[in-house]
Amino acid sequence: MKRQKRFEKLEQRPINKDVIVKEWPEEGFVAMKSPNDPEPSVKVENGIITEMDGKKREDFDLIDMYIANYGINIDNAEKVMATDSAKIAKMLIDPNVSHKDVLKYTTAMTPAKGQDVICQLDFGEMIMGAKKMRERRKPANQSHVTNYIDNPVELAADAAEAALRGFAEEETTTAVSRDAPFNALSVLVGSQTGRPGVLHQCSVDEATELQLGMRGLTSYAETISVYGTDRSFTDGDDTPWSKGFLASCYASRGIKMRFTSGSGSEVLMGYPEGKSMLYLEARCILLSKASGVQGLQNGSLSCISIPTAVPNGLREVLGENLLCMMYDLEAATGSDQSFSHSSMRRTWRFMGQFIGGTDFICSGFGAEPNPDNTFAGSNEDVYDYDDIHFLSRDYGQSFGIHSIKEEDAINVRRKAAKSLQIVFKGLGLPAITDEEVEAATYADVHEDMPKRDKVADMKAAQDMMDRGITAVDVIKALVDGDVKDVAEAILNLQKQKVVGDYLQTSAIFDDKWHVESAVNEGNDYQGPGTGYRLYDDPEEWKKVTDIPQVIDPEHFDM
Amino acid sequence: MSDINDLVANILKQVNNSDTASTGATQSSSTSVSDDKQYGVKDYPLYEKHRDIIRTPSGKALNDVTLDDIQNNRVDRKDLRITAEALKMQGDVAGDAGRKTLQMNFDRAAELTKIPDDRLLEMYNALRPYRSSKDELLSIANELRTTYDANICAAWFEEAAKYYESRKKLKGDK
Repeated sequence: MKRQKRFEKLEQRPINKDVIVKEWPEEGFVAMKSPNDPEPSVKVENGIITEMDGKKREDFDLIDMYIANYGINIDNAEKVMATDSAKIAKMLIDPNVSHKDVLKYTTAMTPAKGQDVICQLDFGEMIMGAKKMRERRKPANQSHVTNYIDNPVELAADAAEAALRGFAEEETTTAVSRDAPFNALSVLVGSQTGRPGVLHQCSVDEATELQLGMRGLTSYAETISVYGTDRSFTDGDDTPWSKGFLASCYASRGIKMRFTSGSGSEVLMGYPEGKSMLYLEARCILLSKASGVQGLQNGSLSCISIPTAVPNGLREVLGENLLCMMYDLEAATGSDQSFSHSSMRRTWRFMGQFIGGTDFICSGFGAEPNPDNTFAGSNEDVYDYDDIHFLSRDYGQSFGIHSIKEEDAINVRRKAAKSLQIVFKGLGLPAITDEEVEAATYADVHEDMPKRDKVADMKAAQDMMDRGITAVDVIKALVDGDVKDVAEAILNLQKQKVVGDYLQTSAIFDDKWHVESAVNEGNDYQGPGTGYRLYDDPEEWKKVTDIPQVIDPEHFDM
Repeated sequence: MSDINDLVANILKQVNNSDTASTGATQSSSTSVSDDKQYGVKDYPLYEKHRDIIRTPSGKALNDVTLDDIQNNRVDRKDLRITAEALKMQGDVAGDAGRKTLQMNFDRAAELTKIPDDRLLEMYNALRPYRSSKDELLSIANELRTTYDANICAAWFEEAAKYYESRKKLKGDK
């Protein structure tokens, strides 16, 4: 065939490198509704659920049993299950029905009922739902802080810059797992230098992650994964009871924690049992609720290529975020993995979460260029900062971050690198040179950093654990090195762990250590004129509108 | 994966001898909060409204934990931790805010504050699939009840043992 010139050019567009496939329900390649999904049902006898979504109690697998025993508000279950799903869906966007009144219905739904309610909504209606059902009044955001060689000095500088930019949480992980203690330590020091009150985690295997938290080297945890089918769950090397116990282990050490799940994970693991992604995710959400965790990170996450390959994929992703909120859980809404070659599609990936507003719009946003993102690259990275600021300014809508001045970034990066230099010296870790501090101050990518002795760092990281180093030692090193403000911030973080206010749903801290959670700063959106509005928040609005790129009309040369 | 396994194994080994492991039920009597007092949403944040009654595990008031105390080694490495009492207060707040499952989690957690880090990690590992026999799970339940007075968590293990047996998640079921 002779090629038509326009079609030839279209074929070369980035979007056409994205892979999309036909629905294939038997293998779980269906976003919102599979012919194999069960119909919603519930039967309650003597306060016990004896039938759920077409299955009798004796046939329940562990996930069904756990959800039936702990996840569903049984008192309201029969009434809610008898209510038309479209009626419940309408409550989500009806300004006359409050957040609290919607919860009376939605927390009593079985997984199939939750799925059925979400299926009533189009994308715009889901945005309306998120506006009301998000737990915290004011949206926030989370960043990834990593680099390809686990350079601790650059981690501290990037953590400080991200904190200054407004991220309420920072998540690091490792290129090499043995580096975990150093990564946790570097982001601890960097985040508290950038802005006291920022929370941070180190995403590694379950036991190490808990251990780092117990030592005060991290302040929250998130990568506690759950799955929607029994075989996937077992392959993930846990059961609902072990995950529920792990949730309590974290709380027992005063560490904030949320679970992680996401559509497409069961497909990737090979055990979707022919069910839709939304139905399986509804089970994950209810499992999380049953475990008594305060929140959940969902929205397909690292499996995002699966739902976005099928029709209604990104509608499903926002739908599962909304369903999480409908079960009264904090929602950290993904947009954390690159999936598309198209800038337009990449932007639309987060538009629902951005315009609706969620507890953490991204989980997370790359606070380094994508080649240095050891989570395999985020949907958004440092080079998108200004685009995001322009979008916030255009729509008057919070992304949880704001523009900063170059000189402020330089100052805070230097201070974080110097603080870490002092901590390394105080703890007897391999020295950080002045040259490294200077390089981290001005660095963009890991190639900008002088090489460190990786073997010595790895040994020292292990030795640090062997010696039982905790946050108290870090504070002491900072006081000895006369960096009292950072020491004070890390001490305040430890004191907050003693009190536990930030274990409540959707909790973050401001820079004065005032906690903002669903308990004291709950979402009061109920239609036009209510709820959090960026353009009505003078301090934040100024940070978004008064940015270096703006031309002042007074300076026009007429 | 072997990297991770080595690291965990080493951490577990070291924790046995480490002074960061909490030393069991050593809560000072000064930490006790009267049992009948119910806290609620109006008491939150506790840091701002009830800082005076919250203590560290050794019984220190939060205002008595300063940079000066840390510099002069007056604060133990393991002392900046939440207590069962504070978790119960947070549980009251969560329950009053309508979040019963969160409260149940805090109730379990309150019981676990007394268990040393290394033992807690072992208990978690024992609950993972195909790790334990029914008797081993029931033995941990017994330990939770008798050694740590952790009745809710003991019931959690008993319930797991029951369902692991019928749903084939015990050692040897794979």
